[in-house]
Parts: sequence; structure tokens; C-alpha cells
Amino acid sequence: MVKESYSNLDENQLVRAAIDGDKNAFSQIVDRYQNMVARTVKGMLGDSVFSEDIGQEVFIKLYYSLSEFRGEAKLSTYIQKIAVNLTLNEIKRRKRFFSMFSQKGNAEMYEFEVADQDHENRSDAKELVNKALAKLEPKFRIILTMRMLQGYSTKETAEILDLPLGTVLSRLSRAQEQLRDILNKLS
Amino acid sequence: MKPIRVKELIIESLSAEKDTSAIMNELEESGVNYSFGNGFHDKVIDKIYSASLTVRREVELVRSMNTVFYRIALTGAAAIIIMLISIFLTEGSLSINSVFGLSDSYNESIVCMLTGN
Repeated sequence: MVKESYSNLDENQLVRAAIDGDKNAFSQIVDRYQNMVARTVKGMLGDSVFSEDIGQEVFIKLYYSLSEFRGEAKLSTYIQKIAVNLTLNEIKRRKRFFSMFSQKGNAEMYEFEVADQDHENRSDAKELVNKALAKLEPKFRIILTMRMLQGYSTKETAEILDLPLGTVLSRLSRAQEQLRDILNKLS
Repeated sequence: MKPIRVKELIIESLSAEKDTSAIMNELEESGVNYSFGNGFHDKVIDKIYSASLTVRREVELVRSMNTVFYRIALTGAAAIIIMLISIFLTEGSLSINSVFGLSDSYNESIVCMLTGN
């Protein structure tokens, strides 16, 4: 099949071809969803090179679990769930690391995330968004990422995070309170 | 975009009734976008397909070893059958004792064989 023709295939056709070992089909999946994964991973972990590693892991995990994808949900939702799980695991790992080796704990973890970012290509708006995200607790940060960076509805957010709708709604209002304080302190 | 507007959008994105896709687009236009580096796609594809090539080689090795052991097992089974047939032909019948080669052995002679006296 000519490479350009893959862009016309729907996600189920791409998945089937990728399971059959078609490298170009999987390549098309990576092309199609890499920015979506970048928004989740970089929104949660900061704009660093470590986020790229997690992004790669998301697609590697997707490749090895493609046969389990039954097509009941959208492929984007399936990928998003993998990205969310891997980023939350990474945050837990970092938290353990910083609590073991640093007296400042989480505060230093956030400094590490912000300090490691790419300053050259960042707009003021992006800097403000990154700072707000970095100061939020992870359980609220993931909600903000899904809403603000991915544009998901509360129902879609609940589906991706495997949470009841009520929990998402209460976290939305608590995150909003926390964010108001954070944004007031930011210049 | 002014910082005050960015702050408003961030707060609005957490309102359950707001259409967040419009907020996302407005933020994207003001430079809030995320992407991986240039080589990201190639790195992912290289990692996956070079790893699966190694796995495929390992699977082939295991498969060829299985074939070899299968042949050895078949040869062994054939040898046992031939031995049983030869016992049947020489002894005239095929009893458990003849299978173990004990048809002419008595308890005493086994003791003699084992002790050497």
C-alpha cells in the first residue's frame, strides 16, 4: 500500500493492519496521535526531555497491547488512558525519589519540572499555564490537562480517568479553588 | 494574549458547563501548544520494530529447538517399539517381565548379580 493512502484509513483499519505487522499503519497511528499524547504527558510532567521518554513508552505499550483493543471505545480514548496511567506512575515514582533523597520533597520536584523546561520556544501564556499546572496536585492537574489542553467534556474526562462523573465534578470545583489561589500568587 | 485573559481561560476550563474545546483553541492560538521533538516518530518506530525483530529471532530459535527435540523424541519412541518387537520375537510372548528383560531371572540370581558372589 502507498504510504499516503494510510492517512485515508479509519482507526479500526489502521489497528487491524498494525496487528498484522504493517509498519506503515502503526507509523500512521503515531503520526495521528503524537500531539495528543504530548499534550497529556507534557501537561502533567512538564515540557522536558523526560516527557519524550514517557511519550515513547506510551506508543510502545500501545503497540504491544493493540491486540487487546476491541474497538468498543475510540482509539484516542484507549491511547489517552495509557498516557494517563504512565504519567501518573511517573509522578508517583518521582514523588518516591524526591521524598527519599530530598528534605524539600514535593516542592523540589515541582522546581525540577519547571526548571527543566524549554525556555526558548515558550510564549508568556504557555509559561503561565505550565506554572499553574506544575503547582496543582496531580489529581487536579490531570483534570485540568484533560479539560484545558485536550478539550474533553466532563463525561469524556470521567471515562478516560475511570472515575465516576460525581468525582470528576467535585474535583473540578476543588481544582478551581486551588487554581484561584495559585494564579493570584503568580505574577 | 494578556496574562489576565490566560488566567480567566484556565479557571473557565474547570467549569463543568463550559465548552472546553473553544478554550483549548484560544489557548493554542496564543502559543499554548505541546509537541514532541523532530525525531520522536522515528525513535518510536525504531524502538518497536528493532525490538520485535529480536523477539522474532528468539521465537525462531525456540521453534527450531522444539523441532530438534521432537525428532529426538520420535527416534527414541521408534527405538523402544523396535526393542519391544524384538523381545516379542525372541521370547515368543510379550509380558511385563520380558519388557524389563527379567523373564529368566530369579530373586537369588539378581542378588548374585548385584553382589558379584
